[in-house]
Amino acid sequence: MLQPNVLESPVVSPLRPPSDLRVMFLIARRGSVEALRDRMTVMMSLFFALILPLVLVVAVLLPLKNDQSSLERVLAIYVLIIGLMPASSAIGIASGQFAGEKEQGNLTPLLASPASNLAIFGGKVVCAVAPSIIFSLAAEVCYLIYLTLFLGIDTLRLLPPGISLAMIVLVPVTSLFAAIVASLISSRVRTFNTAQQVSGLALIPLWAVVIGLSFKLQDWGTLAVVAMVAGLALIDLALTVASAKTWRREEVLSKQ
Amino acid sequence: MIEATALSRQFGNFVAVDNVNLNVPDGAILALLGPNGAGKTTTVRMLAGLMAPSSGSANVAGYDVVRDPAAVRARIGLVTDVPGLYAQMTLPDYLEFFGKIYGLSGPILRQRVAGLIEFFELSEHQHERMVGFSKGMKQKVALARALLHEPSVLFLDEPTSGLDPLAARAVRELIVGLKHARRTIVLCTHDLGEAERLADEIAIIQRGRIVAHGSPAGLRLGATPDTLVRIELAQPVPAALAAIAGHARVSAPDESLASGRTVLSFRTPCPDAVNPEIIGELVGLGARIVSVNCETRSLEDVYSAMVGEQPLAIGSDIPGMLIGKGSEN
Repeated sequence: MLQPNVLESPVVSPLRPPSDLRVMFLIARRGSVEALRDRMTVMMSLFFALILPLVLVVAVLLPLKNDQSSLERVLAIYVLIIGLMPASSAIGIASGQFAGEKEQGNLTPLLASPASNLAIFGGKVVCAVAPSIIFSLAAEVCYLIYLTLFLGIDTLRLLPPGISLAMIVLVPVTSLFAAIVASLISSRVRTFNTAQQVSGLALIPLWAVVIGLSFKLQDWGTLAVVAMVAGLALIDLALTVASAKTWRREEVLSKQ
Repeated sequence: MIEATALSRQFGNFVAVDNVNLNVPDGAILALLGPNGAGKTTTVRMLAGLMAPSSGSANVAGYDVVRDPAAVRARIGLVTDVPGLYAQMTLPDYLEFFGKIYGLSGPILRQRVAGLIEFFELSEHQHERMVGFSKGMKQKVALARALLHEPSVLFLDEPTSGLDPLAARAVRELIVGLKHARRTIVLCTHDLGEAERLADEIAIIQRGRIVAHGSPAGLRLGATPDTLVRIELAQPVPAALAAIAGHARVSAPDESLASGRTVLSFRTPCPDAVNPEIIGELVGLGARIVSVNCETRSLEDVYSAMVGEQPLAIGSDIPGMLIGKGSEN
């Protein structure tokens, strides 16, 4: 029944394991592709990327068409809001990466591989954040298109370039923070639902704080918003390093 | 090769694995038996470099599981009871993903993946996503994944669980083949027949401790040297039981009725010598013998005695003879 050629292979010395960065990339790419194959994630992200900007532009901004000062005040903050909505899918993807895979039993082979803790954790964070950033980018493009279509191309001139750019950068920085926190939670609970609920509860206040602060910091000028972006990026970096260093694969296994 | 000395693991106050000693040479199969929660999986996880022991040490494929767990993981293959596949991937993509993580690349990786797909007779399914695979096919994929990097040590946790008889036989043939290719194999199973057929050594774990350790034959013999002999007669012979009881190397002679026939039974440590003599005497007494049946203690009897779930069918002296071969040595 079985052909013997594989069994005749000699027991060879193991190959040189790939670098952490390479393994991180492999894990992130696989996870991202799988997340993009998940119909629910894609449908939710498409809704946030294509429909929600349309609803906001038509329902909120169109009535302000003739009120230039109000429009000027909210246009930039909507860059952030519209970018962050699809980014919420990062929480779902991150929850699936550890807790979800534990439930399905397909995390153990990866944990049993020579991949380092840093590569596994980092790869899963990147895989959670990458698809959501793609959808955020799509949402921003849709936002600009809808603004042009419904309020005219001149409305785009009301977007303050510095603050708008800072808001756009704030989206991946905030998404990364959310993905790291959600991954940490996901690796420490037993089920996907628990991971998603706890992450949601932990991160909704973050969304509120970021949006509220951005709204306030606009008044203080571009530099204040840029400082906030830089601050959050530093927190991301510190959190990534600390998480990767403290995360242990046996903690994940002990929750099975 | 696997060497473990006083390996222990605690979770809070709960001792999952307690002072386990193992020595599995190259090309040998060790079967770990024990009830659910006995500590088999935790033992395997420690040996596979997935979990650090609380105390004790272990050397697997030449590397210390505490000091160099990544090197251990690079040299072992692990198959769990749940195949653990990324169901949305195709088989070649899945194997290539793991192959790359283990450091394979280019034509070597493609050749290896193609070889394993052919070996496991999965060629016609290689363009399908694995979500539709049967349990047997998934288990084959898990085995292929574990063999990709040609590990010298394999940990197989319930590798035939849920497989149909033919698929299970194919996996057992593979395990024997791997043993002949000098792989060291640790097999966790609840299938005592499988353990007996495949394993060179068996270790029974109960509440984290190895309570019996030895070859399958050794365990059975260590349990009791006696064979239970049952002789079925066509009709009663009044002097038969007395004739049997008169033999020096016979114990517990008994006579009973089963399905309307007389059944004589006795235990003896040397059936080869005793049985012909007794049968000769019975024939001499005019007995018409319908059948003679000899039973040695099965591994299941030994296992039941060790884990304390059932009373012994034959004899009562197992535990004292077996405890200590594994955990105390």
